Formats: sequence, C-alpha cells, structure tokens
Amino acid sequence: MSSLGTFVLFVTFVTASYAAAASVVGARRRSTRLVESGIGAAYLVAALLTVASALIVYAFVVGDYSIRYVQLTSDTAQPLIYKLTAYWGGLDGSVMFWVFVLAVFGAFAVRNTRDSHRELIPYVVAVIAVVEMFFLFLMMVHTNPFAPFLTETPSEGQGLTPLLQNPYMAIHPPSLYIGFVGMTIPYAFGMAALITGYLDDSWLRAVRRWTMIGWLFLSLGLTLGMIWAYEELGWGGVWMWDPVENAGLLPWITGTAFLHSVMVQERRGMLRVWNMTLVILTFLLTIFGTFMTRSGVVQSVHAFGEDPKLAMMFAVFMVIIVTVSFGLVLYRLPLLRSRHELDSWASREAAFLANNWVLLFSALFVLFASMFPTLSEAVTGDRLTVGPPFFNKWMLPIGLILLGLTGVAPLLAWRKTTLANLRYQLLWPTLVGILTAIGLWIAGVRVWSSGLCFALSAFVITTLVQEFVRGAGVRAATTGSGRFTAAVGLVARNHRRYGGYIVHLGIVLMFLGFAGNGFKQEEQVLLKPGQQVRVGSFTVRHESIRVSQDARKQAVTATVSAWKDDQALGRLYPARWFFHKNESEPTTEVAIRRGVFEDLYVVMAGFEVQAQSATFHVVINPLVNWIWTGFGVLALGTLIALLPEQAFAMALGSVPSGAATAPVLLLLLFGSPALARAQHVGGSTTVTVPGTQLERELRREIVCTCGGCGRQLVADCICPTAAGMRDEITKLVNDGKSREQVYAYFIEQYGSQEPLAMPIDEGFNRLAWAVPYAVGASGLMLIGAAVFFWSRRRDEADEASSASDTDEALARRLEEELRDLD
Amino acid sequence: MRQKAFKVGLTTLVLAVAFGGLLYSTLREGAAYYKHVDEVMTDPEAWYGKRLQLHGFVADDSLLRRPDSLDYRFQITNNGKIVNATYSGVAPDTFKEGAEVVVKGRLSPEGFAVEPNGVMAKCPSKYQPKSGVPVRSAASTRASE
Repeated sequence: MSSLGTFVLFVTFVTASYAAAASVVGARRRSTRLVESGIGAAYLVAALLTVASALIVYAFVVGDYSIRYVQLTSDTAQPLIYKLTAYWGGLDGSVMFWVFVLAVFGAFAVRNTRDSHRELIPYVVAVIAVVEMFFLFLMMVHTNPFAPFLTETPSEGQGLTPLLQNPYMAIHPPSLYIGFVGMTIPYAFGMAALITGYLDDSWLRAVRRWTMIGWLFLSLGLTLGMIWAYEELGWGGVWMWDPVENAGLLPWITGTAFLHSVMVQERRGMLRVWNMTLVILTFLLTIFGTFMTRSGVVQSVHAFGEDPKLAMMFAVFMVIIVTVSFGLVLYRLPLLRSRHELDSWASREAAFLANNWVLLFSALFVLFASMFPTLSEAVTGDRLTVGPPFFNKWMLPIGLILLGLTGVAPLLAWRKTTLANLRYQLLWPTLVGILTAIGLWIAGVRVWSSGLCFALSAFVITTLVQEFVRGAGVRAATTGSGRFTAAVGLVARNHRRYGGYIVHLGIVLMFLGFAGNGFKQEEQVLLKPGQQVRVGSFTVRHESIRVSQDARKQAVTATVSAWKDDQALGRLYPARWFFHKNESEPTTEVAIRRGVFEDLYVVMAGFEVQAQSATFHVVINPLVNWIWTGFGVLALGTLIALLPEQAFAMALGSVPSGAATAPVLLLLLFGSPALARAQHVGGSTTVTVPGTQLERELRREIVCTCGGCGRQLVADCICPTAAGMRDEITKLVNDGKSREQVYAYFIEQYGSQEPLAMPIDEGFNRLAWAVPYAVGASGLMLIGAAVFFWSRRRDEADEASSASDTDEALARRLEEELRDLD
Repeated sequence: MRQKAFKVGLTTLVLAVAFGGLLYSTLREGAAYYKHVDEVMTDPEAWYGKRLQLHGFVADDSLLRRPDSLDYRFQITNNGKIVNATYSGVAPDTFKEGAEVVVKGRLSPEGFAVEPNGVMAKCPSKYQPKSGVPVRSAASTRASE
C-alpha cells in the first residue's frame, strides 16, 4: 500500500512536468497536438491524485498502521467520518489534499475555458502544473503521507486529536483549501496573459468567476473556523487574531480588493497593473499562509513544528514566484498602460480605489502584526509580542471605514458624481444613520465603536433597500409588472450588481455580530452545588457534577439551571471530555443557549468531583448568531452573482406576473434569522433515516438507567429496565420522533443527561450550522426551479426574444437614469 | 506631470508618517516583551512595571490554591532562577507543577502579578502540528486574549 502510494506520487510528478513542458513547447511551436496532450496530461494529474487520495483514504478505513501518517492521525475506535477526515488532519496529508484539490479544480477550469481562451490555455496549464510540481516535490522529499515505518509496525494508531473530531473541523480545512486553490486559477490566467501579451481584458473575464468561487469558499472556511473556535475551544469568542486565522484572512482581503477593482478595469480600463498585482499577491498570500502555519517561523501555539527544511523550500518557492511574476509585470508594463485617468475624486472608481487602499493597508497591517514577534526578534534581539487588543485597536477603525464605503461607493456614478445626484442618493441613508445613532445614545449605548457600527449598518442597509426599491420602481413602471416581479427581474437582469448588494448585506449582518462583542459580559466563578451567579440579565445555578464513561472517553458533566430575568431557561450541561488516548488534553464541551439577541455560553473550566464544586466561565455573547446568518446571506449573494447569464436570460423571457413573489417571499423567509430560531424550537429538519436504522443507532447511544448494569448500552443490556427502554425507543421512532426528540424525551424522563452515552450539547443548537447551507442551497434550488419552469414557457411565448431586447434597452436606461446623471 | 508626481509623493509621505507614528505609539502600549525567567531575574529591577510574557516552568511543590477560590500562588523557574507569581482566575487544565508555562503580567518587588486570563500552559504531550488547525487548549486560548 505504502509503496504503491509513493509510486503513484512519482508518476504524478512526472505527468505534471510533462504537462508543463508539452504545453509551453506546443504553444511556442503552434502545435495543436502538443498543446492537446498537455491538457490531457493535466487531466491525468487530477486522475492520478484522485487515485492517491483513494489509496490513503482506504488505508485509513482499513487501519493500515504501517503507514506512519495513518498511525499518527487515526485509530480503530475513531468513528468512520473522522477516519476519512484524518486525511487532512495532519501536515503530510494536508499537503497532498491541497495538491489534489488544485489538480481537480484546475482540470475543471481548463475544461471550462479551453475553447474561449485558446491562446492562454497552454500557459495556464503550465503554471498550474508547476505549482502542482512544487507540492508533489515537497511530498516526495519531505512530507510523504505514504511513508512507512521502517522498523516494526505498530498495531494501533494514536488517534486524531479530540479537538479536531468535530463536524466543523471536518469541513473547515477542505473549504479553506478550495478557497486557496481557487485563487491559483486567476494567477495562472494572469501569468498566461503576461507571457503571451494578450493583455486585453478577456483574461479577467475568464477568471472573475473563479475568483468568486475561491472567495466564497474562503469565506466559508473562515466562518467555519469561527464557529469551531466558538463551540469547541470554549474561550467565549470567535476570532482572536491568531497567526493561523490571519493566514486565511490575508488572501481573503486581497481577493475582496481584486473583486472590486476588477470592475473598474472592466468599466473604465484603468488599474490594469494594480489588478495584476492583486492577483499575484492573493496567490502569494495563499502560499505564504501555508508557509507561516507550517514552518514555525511565527512562534505561535500552532507553529510547534520547527521544520527548517520545509521553511527553506517554501521560501525558495515564494522568492521564485515573486521574481518571475513581477519580472513579467515589469516586462509587460508598456502593454498595461491605463486607457483613462481618474476624472474626479467624487466617482465610483475613486471610491473603489479607496476601498482597495484600505483593504490592502489592513492586509499589510495584519501581516506586519502577525510577524511582529519574529521581526522584532530579528531586528532588536528582544522578542516583543502583541495581542488581540493591538489588532482590535487598528482593525476596528479600518472595519468601520470599509463599512462606510460599502454604503457610499455603489451610490456614486462612474467618472464624476454631481452634487444633486449625491443629495438624491445619500439623503435618506444619512438621515437613517444619524437617527439610529441618536436613538442608540438615548437608549444608553456608550460603546462608541459598536454604536458607530450600528449607525453605519443602518446607513448601509438603507442604501441597499433604496437601490432595490428605486430600481424595482423604475422597472415596474416600464414593464408594467408588479413590484415583486420587477424586483426579481431587476436582480436577474443585473445579477452581478444586485448579487453584490446582497453580499454587502451579509457583510453588514456579520459586522453587527462582531459589534455585539462590545457588549460582552463575562464572569468566572467557583460554585458549590446550589450556589448561583448573576451575569447581566442571566442567572446560572450550579446543581451537580456527574462522571460517566464510554468506550472512547470519560465525561465529566455539570448540570446547571439558567434563568433570564425571571424566566427559566431549563438546564444546561457543560462538560469536559477526557479521551482515553489524550487524557492530558480534555476537550471542553460548551453549553450554549442560543438566542436572536444574545447567547448564554457556559464553560466548566475546572471541577472537584468529591466536593461537587466547579469553576464556571459564564459569557453573555450578544448578537453572535448574526455572524452566521450574515454568512448565509453572503453565500446567497455570491451564488446569484456567480450564476451564468443564461440562467437568468431564460427566466426573464416571460415571467408570469406574480410568479416571482413566492420565491422572493421564500428567500426572505430563509434569509431571516427567524429560521435559525425556528430550528431550535420547532420540529427538527433533519432527514430521518429509515426507522429501523435510527432505532438501531439510538440503542447504541442510550444507556440503561437501572443503575445496576454499569451504564451498559440499551442495545447490550439484558435487564428489564433496558427492555422497557427499548420498547420506548421503538414507540418513539414509530411515532416519527427524531433522534433529538428521543434524546429530549429521555432527558426529561430522567431529569439529566444520564441516559445518554455521549452527553449532548443542546441537540438543536448543533443544527444551527446548517442554516447558512440551507439558505444557500434553498436559493440555488429556487433559482434552478425558476429557470426550469420559466424556460419551458419559452416555446409558447415567442416574444421572449423581443422582450429581452427591450429589456436590454431598459437595463441601459435604468442604469443611466440611476447613475450617470452627469 | 512633475507637479502631480510631487503631490502624490507628498501625500504618500504624510500618510506614511501619520501611520508610522500611530503604529509606533500603539505598539508601545500593546507590545509585551517575551522573556525567559532567567533572562529577567538576573536583573529584575530593570523590568519592574514593564509588560512581560514570562516563559518558564511551574516549580515543583510550589503551586498553592486558596480553598474555595480561584487565587493561585506559585513559583516559575528556569535555568536555576525562580520568581514568585500570583494569579486569580480560571487556569488551563495543563497548568500543573512541572508544566511549561507562559504568563502575562508585570513584575514588581513583591513578585510577578499575572493579569486576568494571562496563563498559557503548553502541554507536555507529543503533539504533531496540525495543518491549518489550531492545537490549543481552551484555556490557553482564552489566556492569550
């Protein structure tokens, strides 16, 4: 197995080098056959890496502990899902996973664009292949995931860190990697454009969509990382400016900057060098991020692995990237001349430029501050460290400036905005913003940064609403359709712009969530049973501590009761889990009571089983759920902006009036936080597996409560109590109850989580993570359904083509009426 | 053209100076020296009142906790030098005698006063660094807030 895997990697390396060579030679000799074979080789690389991935996954599943990497990150008792995710749970596997994702993604990108960008494709293939070669080389000489033990083979693995045995961690690295890799595609196209000299704006069109995909996945990865930090690490926050978090944030910032400045180039032919620079920087930062977290160059909690050899290779690779890329930019400088100068500072391109500067400055700042300990040590010999307060001091104002620009920039006209236009655009939003600020002041909000953030958010939301309402109004007047239909038509007609607005709305919601942090209240106390502590409007009383065992861990669970003002919230079960393989590293199982406006977040930090006393860290986290909701909205907006034109063109053919209302209402429903709320109180939305299957699983998850069987699973226990419980489970499942409801039933019966083999943490709350996906998926399905049904009407309605012509004219007119009033 | 270049240059200069000044002043407040116990205790007076991150090991038989409270007293040692420290609050699980710790706070003649959430304890286990994945215990994470 191990040697087969290594052999596959070698073959892949050879194939990748062939792809690079054949493509370049073919392009220079104008030999179509060579170019074609290069493309074929690129596909082959993807196929081979799929084989290699299948091999390592197989090794994990069958438990081949002769492979060192498998032995380090897996064991037999691990649930199957975490055996699979262990693939990217450690350094070696994650390098392979990275290049696997790159190969597959690259193959798709090439397939997608090979006909429309014939002259660029060979070089695109070559650049992607060279990047693949670097990672493959790294694996072959240094981090081969297939490396076997040279001496005796252990018969059992060490197991994946318990901290990583969490559903968010299972999907966080892949999405972050897809984001990173997605940024490689634009870089490859940019390089191809520089090498060939085809520097018109067509390469941008090819990569804009890929950049958006990459950006979406980066956003998803970062959000999942935040959720994971919030739920698993138990320090009560979501983001702490750790070097690893920053490594993911940096390319996200430059990617955001690129997505904005690319519009300026499309519309006005400016900023061409700048865009190329951003593309290169974004790619470089993805590599740098990997380097930063893997090499120990930043002495953070993460960078344990002092690995000079790896650092060396990455350093060389990055130097090569910088030299070659910027060398090419300098060489092509004459071709990258702007077609226009900046006409006025009161214009959209100027606002975009400002946005770019602020974003770039923030990226530089984050980079500087992350590297500051290393820098200061190198320069002065004294190692100086900076903490999150320092980051916050800088990033708060930067964030607020960006938020303000989010509101202002889309309202400005291209080239030059007149005063009258400014007044027309900014009057209402400014009023609403100021009124919000005054209202907050009267309401007694005294945290200036959060207050300002709320006021700015109100301002931005008003601008967005105004854009939609006015646009829909104009459209409704000209097409004579209803307002809702007009609004949907508007989004479909200008889906990039309005998708972008929806993304902005998502960002605003996330900002609200971050701003809530200004009102965080926390308390650390030692409580004996019966004692209570008051934090803000919440009261928490400690009831008891229990110790339980199962095959993989020992769990210490506290039972606490909570009240908000005088209203009882029921019981919470914060716990510590001691996995047998990692006794010294207990995991914190936080108990969270989610709410629209605030979360009650209880951590059991320490305990004394004899005295039944425990140390609690109680945190009130206001508005934190808006971060996740905001991400859902952001994902939806990105998807709308991403969808190909045809999808909307068909829908626009003949929208039956009123047909659009339902999807819009549904979208509003899905997008609203009410859903997140409904998830916790209403019925479950999980897909139930066939009853018998669920039953079988439940019997393995619930223990006998008779007290005499030593917490045996209901499935195995032979006492009458267990038989009764089995009947109860059967009955509940047949009544159509979901797993959580069965849990809830038993918890209620027993008054604690005693019957559960694994303490749960408010079952429904765990579903909250699904909300962003549900929103995104529902949006996709709705749009898909709309396209499908409305496009079928085309045969009947032949006026569709003429309608789209008038639509074209209308869109232009709308654009002009709203914008170019100069 | 030359005038324009002059304008751009001047603007850049002003902005750079302003940001540099701001950065420097915030850094002076926000930064802490990262030192080992023996580096500091050879000349403790020089470090009084400065923000420090002190790296060392919890001395054996020195960790005391007042009953029914979160007040700790302990000694941190490194290369034969010892400093007394006090802390009040939640400490990570890995905070034990013999554990490697990094504590944040200030040194005074009375000893080292650790600030709230200022205890980070490294676990002595054989950790493989995880890719893109923090390896930190909850409390040490909170401690580095």
